[in-house]
Amino acid sequence: MPEPVRVTLTLNGERRTFHVPPGRRLLDMLREDAGLTGTKEGCGAGECGTCTVLLDGSPVTSCLVLAASVDGHDVVTVEGLARAGRLHPFQEALVSLGGVQCGFCTPGIAVTGAAVLARHESDPAEHARLLSGNLCRCTGYTKVLGALRAAATAGEENRG
Amino acid sequence: MAESARPGPLGGRHERPDARAKVAGSTRYVADLALPGMLHAAAAVAPLASARVTGVELAAARAVEGVEAVVTAADIPGKNLVGVIFDDQPLLVEDRVRMVGDRLAVVAARTPEAAWEAARLVRGRLEPLPAVHDPVAALEAGAPRVHDAGNLVRTFRVVRGDLDRALARAAVVVQAEYQIGGQEHAYLEPQGCLAIPEGRDRITIVASCQCPFYVQQAVARVLGLPLAAVRVEQAPTGGGFGGKEDYPSEPAACAAVLAFATGRPVRFVLPRELDMQLSSKRHAVVVRHRWGAGRDGKLRFAQVETVMDAGAYIGLSTVVAERANVSSIGPYHVPAVRVATHVVYTNNLFGGAFRGFGAPQVTWAAEATMDTLARALALDPLELRRRNVLDDRRRTICTGQRLPKPVLARECLDRAAELAGWEDFHARPRAASSAVREGMGIGLVLYGCNLHHGGQRLDRSSAVVILQPDGSVVVRVGLTEMGQGNLAACQTIAAQALGVDPSVVQVWQPDTTTVADSGPTVASRGAHMSGLAILDAVKRLRTRLDPVAADLLGCAPERVDLGGGFASVRGEPDRLVRVSDVAREMAARRIEGIATGWHRSKARTFDAETGTGAPYEFYAIACQIARVSVDAELGIVRVQEVSAAHDVGRVIHRDALEGQIEGGIVQGMGWGTSEELKLEAGRLANPNFTDYLIPTAADTPKIKIAVVESGGAGGPFGAKGVGEPSLIPTAAAVRNAVCEALGVEIRRLPLSPPTVVEALGERHPFAWVAAGRPEEEHEGLATADRER
Repeated sequence: MPEPVRVTLTLNGERRTFHVPPGRRLLDMLREDAGLTGTKEGCGAGECGTCTVLLDGSPVTSCLVLAASVDGHDVVTVEGLARAGRLHPFQEALVSLGGVQCGFCTPGIAVTGAAVLARHESDPAEHARLLSGNLCRCTGYTKVLGALRAAATAGEENRG
Repeated sequence: MAESARPGPLGGRHERPDARAKVAGSTRYVADLALPGMLHAAAAVAPLASARVTGVELAAARAVEGVEAVVTAADIPGKNLVGVIFDDQPLLVEDRVRMVGDRLAVVAARTPEAAWEAARLVRGRLEPLPAVHDPVAALEAGAPRVHDAGNLVRTFRVVRGDLDRALARAAVVVQAEYQIGGQEHAYLEPQGCLAIPEGRDRITIVASCQCPFYVQQAVARVLGLPLAAVRVEQAPTGGGFGGKEDYPSEPAACAAVLAFATGRPVRFVLPRELDMQLSSKRHAVVVRHRWGAGRDGKLRFAQVETVMDAGAYIGLSTVVAERANVSSIGPYHVPAVRVATHVVYTNNLFGGAFRGFGAPQVTWAAEATMDTLARALALDPLELRRRNVLDDRRRTICTGQRLPKPVLARECLDRAAELAGWEDFHARPRAASSAVREGMGIGLVLYGCNLHHGGQRLDRSSAVVILQPDGSVVVRVGLTEMGQGNLAACQTIAAQALGVDPSVVQVWQPDTTTVADSGPTVASRGAHMSGLAILDAVKRLRTRLDPVAADLLGCAPERVDLGGGFASVRGEPDRLVRVSDVAREMAARRIEGIATGWHRSKARTFDAETGTGAPYEFYAIACQIARVSVDAELGIVRVQEVSAAHDVGRVIHRDALEGQIEGGIVQGMGWGTSEELKLEAGRLANPNFTDYLIPTAADTPKIKIAVVESGGAGGPFGAKGVGEPSLIPTAAAVRNAVCEALGVEIRRLPLSPPTVVEALGERHPFAWVAAGRPEEEHEGLATADRER
């Protein structure tokens, strides 16, 4: 067996260290070693977006990221989107505007959407493009995009 | 049930009970569950579509570190069968492989990696046999036989009306053959289950599934256990669409056999590529039409012959064909009808349940023929449909059944046309020379709600309602949540009936030990059948609740009203007591706070020989109109807008309803335009989301919805199902819009760029370039990625 690799990162705002096999995927380290099962595996090939997490603020498919490569970096999962016990505004909007159905793609969508909002992106066409890496088979995306638009608008008003 | 003076949550948009946990990532799906000592399962599958099996080599697999069991057909304690209806499918192969993906052996190991490595090392000694992959060719004499009894499984028919007379009166006759492809469900959560044995006496299965009672029956059969010794709990299920109707029985049976072999919990989660390769699909079909109309534009007759590729095992194909058969002419009045629907074995992946259940394919063909007829008669497609669609005067459907009033097909057609701006769009001049052309097309559906007559023995449903001492309410039903909103619907219905806030009601996922067999969660029957069972349970609960409330209120029990969280005296809304106080008082008096409920659909008569009678109790009707733009050079279809008018009877939960319509439209659009199952000698050549293209957020059209509430249907508060009617007409509407935009007839689904470019032929903008040049150069010029 190859030597385990030591990985120290900021995970959902907390400094954490894991010892993982060199070939371990970030997805597995999060789910198996950190017990953060909110990040889902839908395809294992970077196609569906259900395993999306933020790596230094940018959305990545964690099934295609080696755990060892996030040493010294910042990772946020769906569990880390809430602030002070309150869901992220996009998560709240998904709940209140009917953007959740089977829920399996939802964590990935919540993470990507949070990144979109952090960029202060307000153009609906751009929202659709930026979310196109997160497949959803239930909603037809209508209410998901509606929730993103609502959260973006509310965010602008708060800043304004 | 008398309606309360205080309006309840019915038809509202309150928060779905499952949404908050799902959005936070705290909902635990099967792959998120683990137990001490748990093993991981994997399957070794056949790479050929047809072969004799002379042996299976297991030594290399057993030698992999971490492997605890490698199991073949000989190790199954009960029966080696998994078919839902027919006994034609073994769980693990014995002597014969009939499709790519047939299981040679299953493995349990301490890690998923070890399990799949061992599965890869299982070697089947296979002698290839002739295979048949074309369902039409499979019907020819001398075609390789998939099973000994021959390839034609069954033919369903409708024979109604005087065809000779109708033929003589038809001024225009259209003949066409449609090649309609299948579809992959592409639920985002792959198939998965967890089997937890208790010695060899009992077992619990936690499964991602639509039909826990199917899983229970399958596991009991392979383990040789009574049904009561198999407990199936539905895990939160990440999408189903029919793909988790019958198929989950297969992985569950595998995991159960491995759990009994090892005495340890076994989790089986399919990797996406295998999930797509092994699981059932929407059927590929060939539909032949000969339809006639008079000069007045009225349909005189319709002849339909459908050949349905069942694949290597029947699964649910005969039931799918049963629905397709009676759905073949859409919501139109036709005096003479001849339908034949053939179910045919091939060595392809097996077809099964998929949202719409055979209706989308025949609807696509019917709506295409309607547009061809409109062109032949020089009539507006909307006008042709107005002249033929069912209404309160012409209520006779394909099978001769007369629909109960009101029949709102015309209403749906007009509402959708208004939303879409049909008249304005067609009055506007459109440039025919530009590369990007616009078109608008119509699709209609008549959908028989709940199970067909042939399956009516399964059409019953169970519920349990428990009023807790604090006034909160537990509801259990036998039908599942898979994303469609059944938890929200059941919560709303129970809250409405008990006059409490929805937040007070907790609906728990089904478990076969808490409710009686309620049949499958299919056929848009979830909210309908569980809702009626809940109403029955509430009615029974109230025989105990109302007297206690009456005591507290000082009135007769018959005068107790429930609403707004209160029990009150009818006609005197100020005399009231909290429902929670009534619950507390019931607990104090030790009065039974639990009630069961039951519902079964009405018995109907139907003649299977002639296909006439009442296959379904009642019907949902919808019309969708698609506006598309088509790049005529590249053949790329962009659906800009879909206007949908649905008769849903009564709205239960508005967000869930709209979610069903929006999701159905986009899934139907994907089937119609971009989703193509590429089979090579029975093997799926595109088992991933890079090569099998489902719609993304960037593809989603603008969707306009008109909800028509006819009330009166047999469902809870007059509701009827919407899950499938939402998908069925979309692809047809898109096809008709594309054909209108380009002025061509396309008779092949999906409308992928190569299909659209091919259909353009001489009308392709670059046809002049290609004229007189060798084909290779033409191929080089077309930017579209042609099919090889």
